[in-house]
Amino acid sequence: MHDPHAHIAPFDGFGLGLRRVHYDDFLAGGVPVDFVEVISENYMVEGGRQLRILEQIRRDLPVILHGVSMSIGSAGGLDEGHLAALKRLADRIEPLWVSDHLCWTRTSAHNSHDLLPMPLTCEALDAVCANIDRAQEALGRAMLFENPSSYLTFPEDEMSEWEFLTAMTQRTGCYLLLDVNNIYVSSRNHGFDARAYLAGLPLERVRQIHLAGHDPATPERDLIIDTHDRAVADPVWSLYAEAVAMLPQPVATMIERDADIPPLGELLTELDRARALLPA
Amino acid sequence: MSDLAQRQQAFLAAILDDAAPMPQGWGNSQAAGMDVYRGNYRSALMDVLADTFERTRRYVGEQPFRQVSMHHIITHPPAGWTIDEAGEGFAQTCADLFRDNPEAGELAWLEWSMRLLATAPDTAPLTAQDFAAASANFGDEEWSNLRLGFAPCATARLVGHDFEAMWRALGEEGGDIPQAVLPAPQCCLVWREGERPTFKLVEADHTAAFGAMAGGATYAEVIALLIGDDPEPEPEAIQQAAMRAGAMLGLWLNEGLVTALNP
Repeated sequence: MHDPHAHIAPFDGFGLGLRRVHYDDFLAGGVPVDFVEVISENYMVEGGRQLRILEQIRRDLPVILHGVSMSIGSAGGLDEGHLAALKRLADRIEPLWVSDHLCWTRTSAHNSHDLLPMPLTCEALDAVCANIDRAQEALGRAMLFENPSSYLTFPEDEMSEWEFLTAMTQRTGCYLLLDVNNIYVSSRNHGFDARAYLAGLPLERVRQIHLAGHDPATPERDLIIDTHDRAVADPVWSLYAEAVAMLPQPVATMIERDADIPPLGELLTELDRARALLPA
Repeated sequence: MSDLAQRQQAFLAAILDDAAPMPQGWGNSQAAGMDVYRGNYRSALMDVLADTFERTRRYVGEQPFRQVSMHHIITHPPAGWTIDEAGEGFAQTCADLFRDNPEAGELAWLEWSMRLLATAPDTAPLTAQDFAAASANFGDEEWSNLRLGFAPCATARLVGHDFEAMWRALGEEGGDIPQAVLPAPQCCLVWREGERPTFKLVEADHTAAFGAMAGGATYAEVIALLIGDDPEPEPEAIQQAAMRAGAMLGLWLNEGLVTALNP
């Protein structure tokens, strides 16, 4: 029986999101990464080639299960069918850890399949913490949750996002997946100081960092969009360098690319840049 | 209902419907953000449909496919946790909206069936040799009561177009698409060979027979189905139906559709 509040040991390494176009590269072996991360829901299936490939790659590399559909912020609670399927996959793959996002995706009637923003209220914090408790209990392991990028804030907000995340980790024992691009995107969209955000987090709870590209604001659109369809932008690299210098423990860093996915070599070059930014 | 639940319902209603009122207290900045979430919602679902129904998209053309996709997203907002479910019912949407081109709905059905098969449970097919050994001592009663287990998600339906030719032609952008109307409808059997979803056009009577056996009918019931409505069939008709059922069974075994006897 796993302990839902068990300590997650820091993992020091650099990895990539595993995407279909790169299956052959990984199956051939020798890709210079320390882990891969997969979208959990893509492998929460009964069988077939995709699942077999993941199991094959898992023999050589640690795998992180990163979900997009847990909807940890749903007022109506979690989908037990989703949780059960995720548990089956986690038992099968034995991942380094399981993560999802601080967001909600669905109501009882419909699913947006998008990472929708939480109002930063005490009521929302209670709902999120109850759901995290349930998820960690069902999975028998502590989880990581990622700070989202967002395109609006709510008039009823009662705290900052970093205060919300801090309270969430304190109350549930969960860990953080720090998406540095998301911090940058949201800071520009909502006008907060990205450094203050970092300084306000319980950095000892961070176990992983995501780096990704975004679509800058345009004359027609003030908002920056988190797109994962291009290289990491320079201001995000700067923020990453500051973040890793502040962290009291090593973390797993990875490049996320979900659209316009380039040849593997291009992503590995970006990963080298991340390696070079680690403090000596 | 909690305040949070009400807010989430209002938020999602505003994503699904441009005309839905914005939640109370929202101003221009929230409206601008909502535009992004609406765009994300639609583009994610449109991308899934375009990926799942790649050949249907090529067949009907980019713009008509976008229109039918948008219609489907509006009429079938997803509820399940996997975004792949966005394709559920899309074949019927195509059949409804492309009434003059029934092949579009058939092609979408085939692509959806193949998609479901790709992630179906792994099973080992029963070989003809396995079957021969298991049934070597069958008497009349065992044959009559025989039931078959089929590979999960294997399916069949009548189609009016030569999808073997169309599937190949639609495999790449810009190829010539044959106008492949069949002289008479045939059965499209869809299953998985190892990890690879596949299909085959066979005689039309496979459709009902496969459907019946996959639904739990016995071998005797399938023979009765093949005889038809005649309440007092001639012995030759019974003999012919039995031989036809035997031929179908042989094909299903040889193609690897059968996974168990008397499951």
